[in-house]
Amino acid sequence: MIKLFKYAVILFLCSAPSSLYSQNNTNLESNSLVLQQAKELYEELRCLVCQNQSLLESEAPLALDLKELIKEKLKEGKTKKEVKDFLVERYGEFILLLPTLSLQNLFLWIGPFIFLFIGIIFAYKFYTNFNRSSNKTKTLNPAEKKNVQKILDEKLE
Amino acid sequence: MLVELGHFCLALALSVSILQFVLPIIGIKLKSTRALATSTYSSYLFFCLVSFSFISLMWAYISSDFSVALVAQNSHSLKPLIYKVTGVWGNHEGSLMLWILVLSLYSLALSIIGKNIPLKIKSIVLSVQGLIASAFTGFILFTSNPFLRLLPPKLEGEGFNPILQDIGLAIHPPFLYLGYVGLSITFSFSIAALILKQADSIWIKWVRPWAMLSWTFLTIGIALGSWWAYRELGWGGWWFWDPVENASFMPWLAATALLHSSIVAEKRNTLKAWTILLALIAFSFSLLGTFIVRSGVLVSVHAFASDPSRGIYILLMLILFTGGSLALFAKNAPKLKSGNMFSPISREGAIVINNIIFSAAAATVLLGTLYPIFIDALTANKVSVGPPYFESVFIPLMVPAILLCGFSPMLTWKRAVFDNIYERIIFIFIVSILITSFLIYIRNGSAMTFLGIFLSIWLFLGTIYDFFERILRGKSFNEVAKRIVSYPRSAYGMSFAHIGVSIFILGATMSTAYKTEIETSVQIGDKIIVENKELIFESIKQNQGPNWLADVATFRISHNESDISFLYPERRFYPASQINTSEPAILSRLFYDLYIVLGEKDIKNKNFAVRVYYSPLLNFIWIGIAFMAFGGILSLSDKKHRVSYKTLRKNRNLSIK
Amino acid sequence: MKKYYYYIPLITFILLILFFSRQLFLNKDPSHLPSVMLDESFPKLEFNQLEKYNLLTIEDIFSYDKPSLVNVWASWCVPCKIEHANLMLLKNKHSIRIYGINYKDNLQEADEILNLDGNPFYSIGVDSSGRIAINLGVYGVPETFILDRNGKIRYRHVGPILEYDIRETILPILTKLEQDD
Repeated sequence: MIKLFKYAVILFLCSAPSSLYSQNNTNLESNSLVLQQAKELYEELRCLVCQNQSLLESEAPLALDLKELIKEKLKEGKTKKEVKDFLVERYGEFILLLPTLSLQNLFLWIGPFIFLFIGIIFAYKFYTNFNRSSNKTKTLNPAEKKNVQKILDEKLE
Repeated sequence: MLVELGHFCLALALSVSILQFVLPIIGIKLKSTRALATSTYSSYLFFCLVSFSFISLMWAYISSDFSVALVAQNSHSLKPLIYKVTGVWGNHEGSLMLWILVLSLYSLALSIIGKNIPLKIKSIVLSVQGLIASAFTGFILFTSNPFLRLLPPKLEGEGFNPILQDIGLAIHPPFLYLGYVGLSITFSFSIAALILKQADSIWIKWVRPWAMLSWTFLTIGIALGSWWAYRELGWGGWWFWDPVENASFMPWLAATALLHSSIVAEKRNTLKAWTILLALIAFSFSLLGTFIVRSGVLVSVHAFASDPSRGIYILLMLILFTGGSLALFAKNAPKLKSGNMFSPISREGAIVINNIIFSAAAATVLLGTLYPIFIDALTANKVSVGPPYFESVFIPLMVPAILLCGFSPMLTWKRAVFDNIYERIIFIFIVSILITSFLIYIRNGSAMTFLGIFLSIWLFLGTIYDFFERILRGKSFNEVAKRIVSYPRSAYGMSFAHIGVSIFILGATMSTAYKTEIETSVQIGDKIIVENKELIFESIKQNQGPNWLADVATFRISHNESDISFLYPERRFYPASQINTSEPAILSRLFYDLYIVLGEKDIKNKNFAVRVYYSPLLNFIWIGIAFMAFGGILSLSDKKHRVSYKTLRKNRNLSIK
Repeated sequence: MKKYYYYIPLITFILLILFFSRQLFLNKDPSHLPSVMLDESFPKLEFNQLEKYNLLTIEDIFSYDKPSLVNVWASWCVPCKIEHANLMLLKNKHSIRIYGINYKDNLQEADEILNLDGNPFYSIGVDSSGRIAINLGVYGVPETFILDRNGKIRYRHVGPILEYDIRETILPILTKLEQDD
């Protein structure tokens, strides 16, 4: 759930007037953009030792090394994507917590739409079937109509 | 000795559960009422045996009997009593014991409450319960026996994972299992309906309270687990999309869908095949969760130690129960009488859309959780599907559901005239937009924050509007008062639950969007300022717990001159397991949480790494969930649920054929 | 509605079960990762020296015309101690050349251990920052790579090499590599 909200936070941080930033961060590093990017990367990368944590959450030695490495690469001016590619080359796609949009992951990404689509198709069928069957029972054939009319007439008299 | 007795009782319980399964079948074949009626007594007996067995295991823990292998592995004589008790289910074997204890409790409850259910239906239900019970009891006895002795006995236990020593974690399994296993009752009722090929409106009346009950427990159980993660894992987060968390979330999503569809089934006698399918799927998700947690097919921080033979056994159970029930569904569901008609624009129609969304959401969580397995099987590659994926697909799925939820209670059953509520919807929409815009204007926020706050207000206003409109229909003050009193509890329950969702969304949005996070390192006397609050690192002292050593820091927090409080985050070291953990300290106020984590000590310059999180409205998450659960309880207390279990006395004799 | 709709849940479930069974019966450890470096040349890395020992150089690796092992180890790593005797065995009994990469270690202690338990390594390279290990895609110590005669990585073993591993995987792979071309 947090991912999209995270984007929100970032957007917020970028759009907020500078007075909103807390000035008291004691070891405010010179390059806050690097830190911001690094943090985003930490969250999208898996700690390989304690596997179900992201790098951000992990205090494992390898994770600390990786974090250091990521910061360095970003400071060198590498983009987030380049850093990711570097790590994928060494550790495989397993390290990415956010799967790439590749053919292999196609079903993962279109799956939710397929599920919704199937649901909608079923609902549609359900309603149309209902209408068909209810139409059948609701309209009376001429003979019945005559009969009903007759009964009604009798009653009215 | 007691342990052997407990072991023996468990073996007896297995045979009793087999009888509970078999005798009703014989009863039906031979048309023998007596054989059918045994199922009730079997369920009583099974409950007694399992309880005794469970208590004997618990006694082994309390008395620190380290001649029992399980106790030696998982307990420690120095552990506080409460954690010795809750330690019973802190491991694979013991948690299964809790599982069957809860199962026996449900069967017992059904036997007692369901006296007026026609004997034939009741015994089929109990027979299915017996089958589930025997499968699980067999699972315990043959693959995961908790009563095995250790020779020679250990002098001291091996403790257990230090981060698991927490009250939130200790008490969440019972609630979770009350939820998981409660779904077995709706499952068994569905099997009965499929076997007898009839699901009339009284049938759904029997089923609904159980669905409601399990949903409530599941909600509480998941919330407690999440609360534990929040307080203990030290990242200020409360949901991590770990496979084990997902394993509890999928049944919840299915149960939520079931809850809604069963309203339609009850009120309007339609959507019955679908409701049955949901009940089957909800329980299957519980079993699937068991499989995921215990088989070791997925990596998880929470998973129990795994063993392939256990995995195979659970897989077989999954095939038997889910496969069997879905096959029965495929065969017999088309023979169920189709129900009443309704228009797509109606309360039922809205619930259908709710069901589509929740089912798609459950399927998506399932897809994401299992995708690494699929890819591994199909391409031999390894991929990870982590929180970023789930967050980016789950939220968009839920948005239409919340939008719908804001006004669908205003729709009438069968065929709603949209024109009647059109103005109200526009009114609520505009008011929500205005309030949200105002809030975003003063606090600044992104589009996503806007959406979150808007949805929360929209749902809140919609629910409140609907409630007041129904209440204020009365003309005089007295009439209104009367309406308030006579307003059905289940309707109150719905309003509470929906308002709970709205509060939850607000808490989740605000606490994430406006979270302030400070990572720094401090010496004694240093000051950190977060959101106008001054945190002063006053002192540090060493402390000794029952099985850990700790550095305890004292932080003095001043909100203003008169409002001062203290927080004591700890850095613990557990010598037995050589693990360092951080014990966050949280100042939890209604409108914000201040969360301090004490990190590594830098020996050279006596600095401590510190992380501080300020999360506004974080408590609203828990308050929202509490409202949801309370809504469930309110709804359960509605007269009509009891009525359905009482009124059948007259027909009772007619029912056995 | 047509009847076959009602079979969809069952069919989906059967598919799921197939995947689960495969996963269970292959009994794969889901936390075990294949190396992405497989069939790639050993990367051109530069190491620091561990005093008194031969320095591992990339020329060493590429000039040797028999399969060899590269072992990542540290003195603080408990499983490494378990595997040490087996590395000695590989060196002495099977005369296999093993290169050591000393990972984030106290060099004195590393030296002590080699003095005490014997030195299984032909040459040793020091990776004090852990960067080299990251370049190799190492995620836990000990890890062992099997190189073919051209210096290509052909296999990765994660965790200590036990006698069983020598018998069942390491030696068979080495013999196979030796027989190749």
